[in-house]
Amino acid sequence: MRLARAALVALLGIALLSGCAGRALIFAPRAEPLRLHEIAGEGDAARRASQRLVLQGLDIDAKGQTQLARRSYERALQVDANNPFAYLALARQAVEGGDGPSALEYLEQAELLLGAEDLRSPRVEAHLAGLRGAALRARGDANGASALLAQASDLAPSVWSDGELSAEELR
Amino acid sequence: MPRPKPRTPRKARRGAGLLRVLALTIASAGFFGGFVAAGYFLSLDRSVRARFDGRRFEVPSRVFSTPSILYPGLDWKLVDLRGTLARLGFREAAGEGRLEPGEYAWGESRARVHLQAFEHPTRSEPARDVVLRLNGSVIQEIRELPSGRELGAVLLEPEPIGAFYGPAREQRELVKLEQLPPHLVGAILAVEDQRFEAHRGIDLRRIAGALLANLRAGAVRQGGSTVTQQLVKNFFLTPERTLKRKFQEAAMALVVEARYDKHEILEAYLNEIYLGQRGPTAIHGVGEAAHVFFGKSARELGVAESALLAAVIHSPNGLSPYREPERAVRRRNLVLEMMEEQGRLDAEARARAQAEPLRLAKVTPDPGDARYFLDLLRRQLSDVYDASVLETDGLRIYSTLDRRAQRLAAIALREGIADLEKRYPRLHSEQPARALQGCLVALRPQTGELLALVGGRDYATSQFDRCTQARRQTGSAFKPFAYAAALEPYRGAPAITLASLLDDSPLEISTPSGPWRPENYDKVSHGMVTVRQAIERSLNIATARLARDVGPRRIADLARRTGIQSSLPIVPSLALGVASVAPIEIARAYATFASGGIRPELQSIEDLIDAEGRTLDRRKLRFERVMDAGTAYLVTSLLEGVAEHGTASALRANGLRGPIAAKTGTTDREQDLWLVGYTPELVVVVWIGFDEPRSLKIPSAVGALPIWRRFVTDMTGGQIRGRFPKPASVEVIEIDPVTRSLAASGCPERKAEYFLAGTAPTSVCGDGGYPESLPGGGVAERPPDRKGDDDGGEFFRWLRRHL
Repeated sequence: MRLARAALVALLGIALLSGCAGRALIFAPRAEPLRLHEIAGEGDAARRASQRLVLQGLDIDAKGQTQLARRSYERALQVDANNPFAYLALARQAVEGGDGPSALEYLEQAELLLGAEDLRSPRVEAHLAGLRGAALRARGDANGASALLAQASDLAPSVWSDGELSAEELR
Repeated sequence: MPRPKPRTPRKARRGAGLLRVLALTIASAGFFGGFVAAGYFLSLDRSVRARFDGRRFEVPSRVFSTPSILYPGLDWKLVDLRGTLARLGFREAAGEGRLEPGEYAWGESRARVHLQAFEHPTRSEPARDVVLRLNGSVIQEIRELPSGRELGAVLLEPEPIGAFYGPAREQRELVKLEQLPPHLVGAILAVEDQRFEAHRGIDLRRIAGALLANLRAGAVRQGGSTVTQQLVKNFFLTPERTLKRKFQEAAMALVVEARYDKHEILEAYLNEIYLGQRGPTAIHGVGEAAHVFFGKSARELGVAESALLAAVIHSPNGLSPYREPERAVRRRNLVLEMMEEQGRLDAEARARAQAEPLRLAKVTPDPGDARYFLDLLRRQLSDVYDASVLETDGLRIYSTLDRRAQRLAAIALREGIADLEKRYPRLHSEQPARALQGCLVALRPQTGELLALVGGRDYATSQFDRCTQARRQTGSAFKPFAYAAALEPYRGAPAITLASLLDDSPLEISTPSGPWRPENYDKVSHGMVTVRQAIERSLNIATARLARDVGPRRIADLARRTGIQSSLPIVPSLALGVASVAPIEIARAYATFASGGIRPELQSIEDLIDAEGRTLDRRKLRFERVMDAGTAYLVTSLLEGVAEHGTASALRANGLRGPIAAKTGTTDREQDLWLVGYTPELVVVVWIGFDEPRSLKIPSAVGALPIWRRFVTDMTGGQIRGRFPKPASVEVIEIDPVTRSLAASGCPERKAEYFLAGTAPTSVCGDGGYPESLPGGGVAERPPDRKGDDDGGEFFRWLRRHL
């Protein structure tokens, strides 16, 4: 009886531990964050063209030509107004330019569209959390920012450990 | 004794005196004449300097559309690619040999387009030769030549859609002399003033030559004017041919030459010279003429094209290459020969240029369909810039207008109204002021970009813009705001869900002006109805009861949040559309529903560039979340039902496929007919009515809907792309449509319905169900909040994504 009780306790312990581990794996999976060139070929013709314009914009952004890059993201929206990654790129650029409020507006759109297309995987969540954190930081909300940036860093340390997302890292 | 001095004879003395007087007179006259001449030249100098040192040219500001974007998978017929190329001044080449910028060649399965360079301070595009592989009407692939590199998307340059002219209606594009090809300058000097570099404003040798030629001909056949004299004539003088004016011209030419260098004079001449008409607009300068005649920049002109421009100067209308092509070519060839004679061209180049056929850009008359939009821009810009700045400073205004959408909108509205008049002759009036009118406005919901705006059926007869300047009652098109207010969580919970029942039995509401008894369009009350039925059938009584319970203040608040700016009366009938609002406000408010509760700021300008190429203003996309995404989605879902089964179901009559959310609106006595609707990428509002309201005696489904349907069908080719984004906060739950409780496995009927998370019914069919009778007679009882299954839902969603 004692043995059985011990076995039960052990089993419960194992179940609890594996559950916690599983939960940790589920809710804090570490994965390489999304890079947009990986999904450039997905979607219909308009989405693919729109993605190409986003990638083109990121290339230009990386060279420091922010106005031209922004226009490329806007053209991407002209082709596919529901492309969440164009808003993500705009949010990234706004954060880099220190324009927190605009970045938050773009993130609203990106989050809505990503959610609607069932694209909010942990690979994307890292960017959403990181960009929102960086946008709040740019807006002067250090408290709100730190938790989100920590979350992003936890999800994607290879990119978000420095609290920033460069155009190359999103590309 | 000294010899006496011989006495001067009296006659001689008188002669000497006369000489003295004469000399004095001449000296005085000379002095006085010199004084007058000096004064005259000084005054000429003042006039010359006033013009040359100030703004030399009045250049109207031009407005451009947003650029068309080509990409693999696009239907080139749908975007009217060939028409766009023609409007941009592209010339079709006979074969696919060497294409110049601005030329294209079209084959069975491929098209080659040599795109022109697009100059812009922040988004210039280089000239590039691209080949499009075609499969029927679809672009399969785009590659750049000669590299063969595959391109994901290619931008065509923005199309000009109009200009803000001053009273003179002169159109010119300013050019710098150093930017022009030498053969263009050479061609003009060869024929107009071959000794330009040598003379000081007047060329006596040329005058003598012209005099002899005219004497021989017995008429004025040749002019002796230099480029400087021609410039002076155009800048300062009238075109009459009198000696006095010729004298003035010569004097001023001398002043100009003394004051300014040859470079400045020639540049001014090249920008001023008159080169013909395009409709009511005068073409001035080689920059503008290069665009009009050849669809390209002056710096890209070839030898033959340059010679043609030089040829036309002599008689812009008599030698117009469009009206008199043979004469123009003969004169062009003469210019080329003169260039060779003067050593400005070698024989081989001359022969090659003479052999070139005349290849002109197609004349695409301005359809005038964007004039309401231009007026809107002028009104918006007048807050920042004086009218004179817009008319003379040569700004370039890059707008959000989609040229194709604008054209299709104008056609849909014009022909739609004409069809109505044909079907219902009583709607027709010979008096323009009493004519049936309408307007159509189209936006991109996510960004708020204005894509098309047609403020009336004919701008020529009425410039009043009914989309932005008129305020009209909206009728049932306002109802979605009432439903949104009821569906939106308020103090923790929404007033209704999509499973609720509403009471459509007769209703009387007390108001300060007496009892108000709303009636349905069919004059029948329908008892208990679902929320979907109430909006799909546009039931007034059920909506009025709902609005009474929600309260007009909350409805008005929601409408304002979504973008309605006109004054909204806080009265029970607000939900039924008694407020007068502008169609563009309604468009913006519906855009908020379409983009998941995020209200876009309206955008009509992308950027504004001054004549020196500096950016004066640049738009920024702005959004604000004003409603939760779930509520916006529920409203969209309701309006999808209206388009599928309700008062707007005729939208599908011509086979239009894809997601549509729409609402009809017909005001009292059918004075205003509305169709407000959206797809995932387009919000369109159509209004039809008379300027002085009177009954049309037809519903909006007959009056406004066909115009909306035609426009969206033409825009999309009949297949609407995309889907409305369903946010994670909305759940799809199966309910029993009879009891509106959860559908268990044993329930006889089941129907999927959308609920904000936590608002779905908790009772299961068969166990008492969801309440059928509504407390208070209006709004259904709120289902209790559901808790505890969020984690599980989240987990399974995550699992679905990852397995």
